[in-house]
Amino acid sequence: MKQSLKYLFSFFFLLSLFFVHAQEKKTTTTAPPEVIVKGSNGTKTEKAPEKKLETVTDTVKPKTERYGLILGVDVFKIARSFYDSDYKGIAFVGDYRLTKKYYIHGEVGSEDVTVDDPLLNTTTTGAYLKAGFNYNTYTNWLDMENLITIGVSYGFSAFKEQLNTYSIYNPHPYFGQSSGIESGKSYDGLTASWIEVSPGINVKVFNNVYVGFSLQLKLLITNSEPNGFESLYIPGFNKTYDGSFGAGFNYTIGYFIPIYKKKVIPSKTKK
Amino acid sequence: MRKIFAFLMILGFASSSCEPDDICDPATSTTPRMLIQFFDIKDPSTAKNVSNLKVIGVVDGKDKEGVILTPSVSGDGKYVTSGNSILLPLNTERDVVKYRLISNYDNENPLLTNEDILEFKYTRQSSYVSRACGFKTIFELDDANPFILTDKTPADSMWIRYVRVEQNNITSENETIIKIFI
Repeated sequence: MKQSLKYLFSFFFLLSLFFVHAQEKKTTTTAPPEVIVKGSNGTKTEKAPEKKLETVTDTVKPKTERYGLILGVDVFKIARSFYDSDYKGIAFVGDYRLTKKYYIHGEVGSEDVTVDDPLLNTTTTGAYLKAGFNYNTYTNWLDMENLITIGVSYGFSAFKEQLNTYSIYNPHPYFGQSSGIESGKSYDGLTASWIEVSPGINVKVFNNVYVGFSLQLKLLITNSEPNGFESLYIPGFNKTYDGSFGAGFNYTIGYFIPIYKKKVIPSKTKK
Repeated sequence: MRKIFAFLMILGFASSSCEPDDICDPATSTTPRMLIQFFDIKDPSTAKNVSNLKVIGVVDGKDKEGVILTPSVSGDGKYVTSGNSILLPLNTERDVVKYRLISNYDNENPLLTNEDILEFKYTRQSSYVSRACGFKTIFELDDANPFILTDKTPADSMWIRYVRVEQNNITSENETIIKIFI
């Protein structure tokens, strides 16, 4: 039920996106001026106004690019903390522009999640840290400062997991099922680390304010499984499933703190 | 730019709903039943078939319906077996089970029908399986008193001659736990 609800939700969200698209103005191409032919012989013809070649004056100002730090907060985690009573989380992201294309990427966060599976209910509490690089694949026009990035990060999380309730899976419940058994057992001092690849986008909406979205595909490297149990959720990594793959996303609002400017040396290949 | 943004958003939300099924694979080893095999008392190494055996669990002095011993048969036939082994479920909430084992159940000649009572004592332990399967219970038969074999009241003679515990730990349905000689 929960699954199908999620699906429905995603579907409607998808629909809402199309709606947004439908309202976009189409750029209509103006028809080229027609040649009007007067007279049957076609002797008098009115010529289409010739386009005058615009003389492009080379007045290129020395272009500068700003370098600094985009500091952001994950608004999805904050929003979810409000509407989901089983979740409390916060994350801060930072992108420091190292070179024209490369950014040092970092993220710190903390999560307190109660995962309610059909047979298990666990609460995971912990903090995480991510560090890596983002490469900006987007070529900005003029003074735009947008980012379409592909990044690689290493993540590390320290957390504890508490088993709240569990059920016994009994395929032959002749004497009845045992479900919702209270446990309260806590597994402390757990750690996990992973590598993640994240395509993302960070758009400067106005002034120095950025709105970003990034997707993360993760691969667990280390995971200190609790004795006689399993880490069902890793802060920063998300839910774990069979195998060591994970996925997640960030929805951030950030602010660009300019630190210094650098002149752009026009490359020779440019005409 | 906006298109890419939308695309990433869709991907993100789509992936959040693409979760593997939380359904436990039936092939997974979960809470096991207890495998009991029947042998010939005259030739203890030879398996012997029971004749129309029905097993009824007793909880708090009340009979439950029969244990399904032949799941391939529909109707009341599934409660009886004429094979040489049975799988009996154990109670995951108590440390004891009591079973009425009725040989030649529903026979035309009521004198042939014979009932013995077996009670098993054990300890239980919860063991983690997986996210989808939760926990399973594994059992360990009591060392000193794993079982009590009694005749029914009023007494008819015993059709079970001898019971031997092969293994105390009940962790899978593939290992013979109890050997009954008839």
